[in-house]
Amino acid sequence: MSAEPVRLARRPDGAALVIAAILAGIAAVIVWQTSQMRVPPIQARIGPTVFPYIIAAGLGLLSIGTVVSAFRRGFPPREDDNFIPIAWIIGGLVAQLLTLGWAGFSIGTGILFAFTAKAFGRGPLWQTIPLGVVFAFAVWFIFAKGLQLSLPMGPLERLVP
Amino acid sequence: MDTFGLLAEGLLAALQLQNLIYALIGVTLGTAVGVLPGIGPALTVALLLPVTYRLDPAGSLIMFAGIYYGGMYGGSTTSILLNTPGESASIVTALEGNKMARKGRGGPALATAAIGSFIAGLIATLALAFVAPWVVKFALAFGPAEYFALMVLAFITVSAAFGDSALRGLTALFIGLGLGIIGIDLQTGQARLSFGIPDLLDGIEVTTLAVALFAIGETLKIAADRALAKEEVLAVKGSIWMTKDDWKRSWIPWLRGSAIGFPIGAMPAGGADVASFLSYSAERTFAKRPEEFGHGAIEGVAGPEAANNASAAGTLVPLLTLGLPTTATAAIMLAGFQQFGLQPGPLLFTNNASLVWALIASLLVANFMLIVLNLPLIGLWVKLLTIPRPWLYGGILVFATLGTLGANGAMSGRLGPISFSFELLLLLAFGILGYLLRRFGYPIAPVVVGLILGPMAEQQLRRALAISQGDPMILVHSPIAITLYVVAAAAVLLPLYLRLRGRGDVLGQLASDED
Amino acid sequence: MNKFILAALVSGALALPSFAADYTIMAPAAPGGGWDQTARTMQESLQAEGISGNVQVTNVPGAGGTIGLAQFVNQSNGDRNALIVGGYVMVGAILTNASPVTLDQVTPIARLTGEAIAIVVPASSALQSVDDLAAALKENTGAVSWAGGSAGGADHITAGLITKAVGADPTQVNYIAYSGGGEALAAVLGGQVTVGISGYSEFASQIEAGELRLLAVSTAERVPNVDAPTLKESGVDVAVQNWRMVAAAPGITDEQKAAISADIEKMVNSASWKAALESRGWVNTYLAGDAFKAQLTEDIAATESILREIGLVQ
Repeated sequence: MSAEPVRLARRPDGAALVIAAILAGIAAVIVWQTSQMRVPPIQARIGPTVFPYIIAAGLGLLSIGTVVSAFRRGFPPREDDNFIPIAWIIGGLVAQLLTLGWAGFSIGTGILFAFTAKAFGRGPLWQTIPLGVVFAFAVWFIFAKGLQLSLPMGPLERLVP
Repeated sequence: MDTFGLLAEGLLAALQLQNLIYALIGVTLGTAVGVLPGIGPALTVALLLPVTYRLDPAGSLIMFAGIYYGGMYGGSTTSILLNTPGESASIVTALEGNKMARKGRGGPALATAAIGSFIAGLIATLALAFVAPWVVKFALAFGPAEYFALMVLAFITVSAAFGDSALRGLTALFIGLGLGIIGIDLQTGQARLSFGIPDLLDGIEVTTLAVALFAIGETLKIAADRALAKEEVLAVKGSIWMTKDDWKRSWIPWLRGSAIGFPIGAMPAGGADVASFLSYSAERTFAKRPEEFGHGAIEGVAGPEAANNASAAGTLVPLLTLGLPTTATAAIMLAGFQQFGLQPGPLLFTNNASLVWALIASLLVANFMLIVLNLPLIGLWVKLLTIPRPWLYGGILVFATLGTLGANGAMSGRLGPISFSFELLLLLAFGILGYLLRRFGYPIAPVVVGLILGPMAEQQLRRALAISQGDPMILVHSPIAITLYVVAAAAVLLPLYLRLRGRGDVLGQLASDED
Repeated sequence: MNKFILAALVSGALALPSFAADYTIMAPAAPGGGWDQTARTMQESLQAEGISGNVQVTNVPGAGGTIGLAQFVNQSNGDRNALIVGGYVMVGAILTNASPVTLDQVTPIARLTGEAIAIVVPASSALQSVDDLAAALKENTGAVSWAGGSAGGADHITAGLITKAVGADPTQVNYIAYSGGGEALAAVLGGQVTVGISGYSEFASQIEAGELRLLAVSTAERVPNVDAPTLKESGVDVAVQNWRMVAAAPGITDEQKAAISADIEKMVNSASWKAALESRGWVNTYLAGDAFKAQLTEDIAATESILREIGLVQ
């Protein structure tokens, strides 16, 4: 892939090896799932299993390519990412996912807003969560009441007749 | 009455003060909703169409035209400034546009998008008025074999978006292709890779994937970046207007984008996304400075934005002449037209001539309103970047999840007593994927391109072979298909040739320096 | 941006006063499709006639309506106000998707509308009648390509039934699925396929314009104001209509079911419903009670057997 000479003496890129393993894993899952399909007896045509097998083969080859690249240190240098903000944002999305159904759009989305703000260094949560809920409620009002979008309802939304 | 007379009459009706106000309201609402990250044109039109039902037919048509063009345009703003396209047709705009914005050239990027959209909208609307019957004949000549050839061409052009490593570009593309297999196979009704989950039967929604990879992936990457966390907001440097050089580099891409976008939009299986991919690749091939691509080349914004808007007008060709909705947005519009008393189809131009011309005139007026509204607003849009990051990205995630819930809000997942939205779970999973791809230097666009093009290519190939009962010669049976394969071959060979010739020049130069 | 939000807020608040819902109708499809339009027409009619003060429509798209159906069955048990719109397409989708939820789990109220499936060829085609089509099918079934909606849907089932009825092998049906009747229309107009098969309304304007020739319609009776024979008249023993229905939640009492049925009957007989059907070109095929239940059972059995023969269900 790159013109760089092979330097096997150096340690391979561990993360790249993990990626290669994941790609190979996906290819295996596609092959396994596709082999389970019952193909209807229709004449003279490429069936529904051909493309999945081609894609799985492609992923398999790319996995091998990634292993080679890992040994050649072909991946660009990675930045020193800070994972704490990522945890806050993912936490916010998970919290929204789990609260939307019973607490409604405003509360669930307000938590997401506050957690995201926290990830970017703005707090404290006891201030930003109410702020987020108010913002999300305004958004809900415009889209659900003004534009008839169906969004999950909770106790707050039910206050609006 | 002749075409010009009918168009003039339509324009006179559209230019009444009351109708101009409706057009302005339509454009404003369309842009305002379309600009929200994660909410694409289809959802915008679906949400705002009912607002127009309250008016008389002429008024509702003109407001609708404003909403349609406003919604199509609005998406480019957040693509450029925040790297958060709301739909697949603005992804390519984000590639170069966001790089420009990061260099403090958000203003010119927005301006070339706005003016390009205007010019493309103008050309394409006029084309709709005068050449629609011929364009539709051309579009109908595309059978499965021709579409497959077009897909081959599109696949080759994707490599333009691969960035600096073919291995990582192809891997991204194949991840998209893999996601594209999920769901019911259209030709046989069999479920593929759905793991028994009913929500996967309809496949992965392109909008969900695009919003997740771009809006959520980008938010995660920026939040994690220690350098960015300290750095203050990136200011817009220099003028927010286009320089003379920008104009010089933009006008040909605008025209080329319009020429690519209109016919592709008119094809029953074309679409704005395919048009924007092809335009991006064309600009990269013909660019005087191809090395700028991937680092903020203005041609890469001007061309695809023009193509995307021209194809929006192109979509109206099969819709009006055949009654054939070719995109989600068009399907919603068809329902809307029926409310206005328009019955799209071959008899439309004879039975409803005055309404059709009123619609075309409305589109022209809306297009004009759009640029009147948006050029002055560019100064305001670039201020979006001055919103403090916590609030800006908080807002982006709110609208990204709102758009996803609005498009498919079913609370179909279950975890004990809690029911949750499966579509949001996908959004989260793909958001994390978007972050990981960025972290390891994989390009994002090919994933979405794979999801869009893979299933199209597969279905068209299988249709072609089913019709021919397995004879592969059908793939090269028509001049159109052969032409497309030749263009595809040229798309591979031309850049190679240009590069070799360029290198030759440099080598020649070096050789002469040795002397 | 705040200005726009404010403007949208104000205009939204002015434009649409909100109500508390009485009936909630689920359309198990995306906005704009046939089921969605049926639900929204019901909404207008029920409100206009004062049968129900407030009606809300929710959309749960996906997988031929089976995702919406599953959600309806799981979440509306015993809810007197919950209704779902559905149709013939659901019958096939439940079978091909091996859906865990079936129509037995809801309380069918009535069939509302029905549409004939049209069998068309391009104007330039050599096929002039159903007899020609039958002859072509018997000669080489695979050489006749059919363009229609998704595999296992009403169009595909009808193509299979016709092939079987003329004495050809239904496993050989060369059916090319398109993601909507519209895309199939383009394939027929472009001469890419032999026959087009889809809802009459999809082809209507092209038939009027003379671009397509209508060989037959699939219903037992002729379609009013349409000059084409039925399949039965043409000697092919097939009668199918692509019907749409309304059903109520599982687990409701008989009194509740009777009350809903009365409301629906009132709606169907109202002037606004009739006017709406007229403007949309739908045919009233209202059928309620046990007669509808019997027809439903019959349709499910016939569909299952042809899908097995085509090979889509095993």
